[in-house]
Amino acid sequence: MLLQVKNVSKTFTGHQALDSVSLEVPRGSIYGLLGPNGAGKTTLIRIITHITAPDSGCVLFDGHQLTAADTSQIGYLPEERGLYKKMKVGDQAMFFARLKGLGKQEAEKRLRGWFEHLGISDWWNKKVSELSKGMAQKVQFIVTVLHEPKLLIFDEPFSGFDPLNAQVLKDEILRLRDLGATIIFSTHNMSSVEEICDSFTLINKSHNILSGKVSDVKHEFAQGRYDFLIEGDTTALIPALMPMVESHSFTEAEAGRSLLSVKLNPGVELRDAISAVNAKSTIVGLHENLPTMNDIFISAVNKANEK
Amino acid sequence: MSQSVTSIIIRREYMERVSKKSFIITTILVPVLMLILALLPTAIMLFATGETKTIAVVDDSGIILPSLESNDNVRFIDAWTSQENMLSNDSIYGVLIIERNILKRNSGLKLLTPNASSVSIESEITGQINKIIENEKLKAYDIENLDRILNEVKTSVTLQTLRTDSSGEEGESQSAAISSAIGTMLNFLLYMFLLMYGSLVMNSIIEEKNNRVLEIVVSSINPKSLMIGKIVGVGLVALTQIVIWAVIMFGISTLLLPAIVPAEMMAEAQAINAGSADLASTTMDTDLALALGMFTNIGFVMKIMCLLMLFLIGGYLIYASIFAAIGASVDNIQDASQLQTIGIIPIFIGLFSSLAVIADPNSTFALVMSLIPFTSPMVMMARIPFDVPIWQIAASLILLYLTIVLMIWIAAKIYRIGIFMYGKKPTVRDLIRWARYK
Repeated sequence: MLLQVKNVSKTFTGHQALDSVSLEVPRGSIYGLLGPNGAGKTTLIRIITHITAPDSGCVLFDGHQLTAADTSQIGYLPEERGLYKKMKVGDQAMFFARLKGLGKQEAEKRLRGWFEHLGISDWWNKKVSELSKGMAQKVQFIVTVLHEPKLLIFDEPFSGFDPLNAQVLKDEILRLRDLGATIIFSTHNMSSVEEICDSFTLINKSHNILSGKVSDVKHEFAQGRYDFLIEGDTTALIPALMPMVESHSFTEAEAGRSLLSVKLNPGVELRDAISAVNAKSTIVGLHENLPTMNDIFISAVNKANEK
Repeated sequence: MSQSVTSIIIRREYMERVSKKSFIITTILVPVLMLILALLPTAIMLFATGETKTIAVVDDSGIILPSLESNDNVRFIDAWTSQENMLSNDSIYGVLIIERNILKRNSGLKLLTPNASSVSIESEITGQINKIIENEKLKAYDIENLDRILNEVKTSVTLQTLRTDSSGEEGESQSAAISSAIGTMLNFLLYMFLLMYGSLVMNSIIEEKNNRVLEIVVSSINPKSLMIGKIVGVGLVALTQIVIWAVIMFGISTLLLPAIVPAEMMAEAQAINAGSADLASTTMDTDLALALGMFTNIGFVMKIMCLLMLFLIGGYLIYASIFAAIGASVDNIQDASQLQTIGIIPIFIGLFSSLAVIADPNSTFALVMSLIPFTSPMVMMARIPFDVPIWQIAASLILLYLTIVLMIWIAAKIYRIGIFMYGKKPTVRDLIRWARYK
């Protein structure tokens, strides 16, 4: 584990931002930090980046208690971010690189490399005020990853990017992961979580209510949802199936087939359901109906809020 | 490591501001403007005293004209005896008509002129005629030896103040007028710098917070070091500016003054500095002699400069930390206007008490205000030209620098919380709560 957060709590003058939150980020993985607005994600990130201190609990980085010196091993791209408007892009990138402890020559060498890699070399002498939002985001991204930290934290990295540049950035994040970086990825964009995150935690109202590997949680949340592709008459099916399912629906599929989506009652085995369907019609296809991260997010948060 | 990171912040802050056009322009322009302002009255005098105005006098009373004295400004001629053609002649400025019974009526005086009348000509005429009439009236009392008595009665005293120290010996010559002028100047200089550079720190922090650069910066440096780096960076800019100004001023006083002031005046000024000449023996105005003496006295100029630096840096650090805390707490400059008064009011108190202190530099009020750290930089600098006991200066500086440590500590606490607070316009109570927050 590169990062372990243990029972971290933080209260701001009367408002509890985090209540005993724990999480573990495996080395070399992409970890999603999800949650509705105001759930406490930014506070948690600020604790991990050593910007604020927790009231109680602890943060272990690379096996030891997190210290100020570790910030040189962390790169953080905040959600709300800006640059000095009147500075030149190159000077500004150098300033941030030097803040991260890189020597002058090393900083310039790496920056030139990255600028070339992302095709923005001719921006070096431009003023930041001349850049569009997306362009500025690219510079901020470079500045975040330049010192090759062990832990990278991206908060809504794709906001402000067109789909093309978002793809470029996504590829870069995956490349950095392959090069050995561990990445924490905070976003509201659930489809990107599905695409790139290995595991995640969901924070709601200062608690984490759901954590685990994306694939595990998806199966857990499937809860007996299956799609049967059926050939032939389906009228006889319903009475046989009714005792086993909580809900069901039919949709017309091509070539006279129909798609039967069911949610099994708790305790009903899949093979019993298959037998029941098989007895009345021909099964052409069957697969487990996994929920999207979007569904999981909504149902988990709603369930937590009902309590 | 954190130290070198702070130096990167200082460097950026400094380079960014010093390379700005506006900085370069004000740094060069202000001393030039001040020099022009200082020289303007002299220049105007030089150019204004060009020609002598000729006034033809028609004196029906018969007693005024013989006593009118022509000088560099005005030449009086008798209209009747003069060969010059009145009014049509360009060489005549105007015709002065004096009526017969002017002695009794105090009126009946007319100046006819095709030109625009000038105040200096008018005061010259009325001044002379007033004196003549006064003399004529006195003569009417028939006093013996009147002329001699009148001459003896005429008085113009000069006051020379000599400061005595505890040994009872005479100290350096001092003029309260010159000290007041220097005190007022130093006071305004401090006022200007504290307000200007204090709000510069505030605006710079607001801007960083507002465009969210701060969010990126604080991921590499702790907020306290960032705040201190910012204050020091802007402070160095202020110092650069004042050093450049000081060098220009110093150059003027040591090179330019001796070059433009006549040699005999310089010699006298230097003699006064050396203590070998007595003020009473100078041929020029005593204030002018003392002023020249002060500005060409390198020891005195250096002492003022050194103390100015110490109080300027101290005052700046106190107010910069107050303004830094305010800047960190608000989202934009509009929201800052109310909280700013926390910093502005003590500066104004300092300014106005200094003006009172200059009138009476050794009062208890002066001593108290020059010891209180928030007003001491301004009030003490206003007092220093009057020669303040060394223990008072030392006490004032110690109190000032101890308070700075405290203020920076408090400001850093507010700053640390404030920079992440968005959306809500904070009150003074919020700031106090943040300062006490663990």
